[in-house]
Amino acid sequence: MGEVIVITSGKGGVGKTTTTANLGAVLADMGKKVVLVDTDIGLRNLDVVMGLENRIVYDLIDVVEGRCRLKQALIKDKRFDNLYLLPANQTRDKTAVSRQQMIDLTSQLKEEYEFVLIDCPAGIEMGFKNAIAGAEKALVVTTPEVAAVRDADRIIGLLEAAEMEAPRLIINRLRPDMVRKGNMMNIDDMMEILAIDLIGVVPEDEYIVISTNRGEPAVLNKNSRAGKAYCNISRRLLGEEIPFLNWDQENSFMAKLRKLIGLG
Amino acid sequence: MFASTEVTTGIGNPQGIRKRPQDDAHTYMVCRTVRSGQRFKYPGNVVVMGDVHPGGEVIATGHVIVMGTLRGVVHAGAEGNDKAIVLAFRLQPTQLRIAGYITRAPDEGDKSLGEPEIACVHNEVVIIEKYRPGSEKRFLNRNMKQEEEEQNG
Repeated sequence: MGEVIVITSGKGGVGKTTTTANLGAVLADMGKKVVLVDTDIGLRNLDVVMGLENRIVYDLIDVVEGRCRLKQALIKDKRFDNLYLLPANQTRDKTAVSRQQMIDLTSQLKEEYEFVLIDCPAGIEMGFKNAIAGAEKALVVTTPEVAAVRDADRIIGLLEAAEMEAPRLIINRLRPDMVRKGNMMNIDDMMEILAIDLIGVVPEDEYIVISTNRGEPAVLNKNSRAGKAYCNISRRLLGEEIPFLNWDQENSFMAKLRKLIGLG
Repeated sequence: MFASTEVTTGIGNPQGIRKRPQDDAHTYMVCRTVRSGQRFKYPGNVVVMGDVHPGGEVIATGHVIVMGTLRGVVHAGAEGNDKAIVLAFRLQPTQLRIAGYITRAPDEGDKSLGEPEIACVHNEVVIIEKYRPGSEKRFLNRNMKQEEEEQNG
């Protein structure tokens, strides 16, 4: 019996879809059987980020409305054999599915897959309620911005009200240099406001832009800092104890040089 | 009229299951860009005077002609007519379907010619070739011949 994990944030554009794609890829790479479910009906993106858009024939709506079997709608990833995607429909809207249909769907999926990762739409309306309906665990993604943290706080409240297991936090797009200068919220500030467990911090990484545009997960590139962070998050999801990277430590050549000449 | 779901055109049945091929002779002109999330479904031929963007869908029981760039999904001969063709000024579809045949561009490095191309089913595979004025007759004629044969019994 697999786990159903919803990846949510409240605010849009903080990296839910990127996180879903990368965590899915890492877990699949570790040999887990993973299915990604895009619940952002009408504004689907996960298929594009995964580079699987041109393989879509049936989608989530076709499954819940009985036009095809679940197996027919699942798209096998082109890089990982045990990674599958259930795409969202693009021509309908969030009201096209009900909570009960999502519960049925996820319970069907978790029988066969070890991880069911649900990419939640932005907002707190129908789409969000559907996405969390069948989930047992939640990962809340936020960026170090006041607006994103506010929305994350709201979402955590809603998840608690839905009696979900305590959600865990992913801080995305952190820029250690800006934090050091005091221009960006630091991890402790956010932890204090949100008061939930941290599962990982993903640094700002240009490579994310490149990889999402290309339609391949960033974790395929071993040099990507964000990719490494996603690897660590996945391993923490599996229950491994992995120490958090120390973001205060600067590793660049210039920093070492500055330290050497006593300016650091 | 052109909502995000099926379209009622006023001509024929929009859900359109028409049994005889000659009933596909109606042609509908879509004089706008078909954008992501828009789905145009018509029992007959469809001509799009504009582009079809990724995420947009055009479904016709007959031929589909796009007077622009086709980047979305198109399904010609949707009720099983494998004689249907897809013609576009720039043919770069996410997915191309003719009757029961589905194709997509290869994952790596497929650059479109940048000139009109025509897609049809030949020997049970979808083939795409450069469009030369007049070359469509080959495909359209075989349709008409078949219709004549069927009409004549």
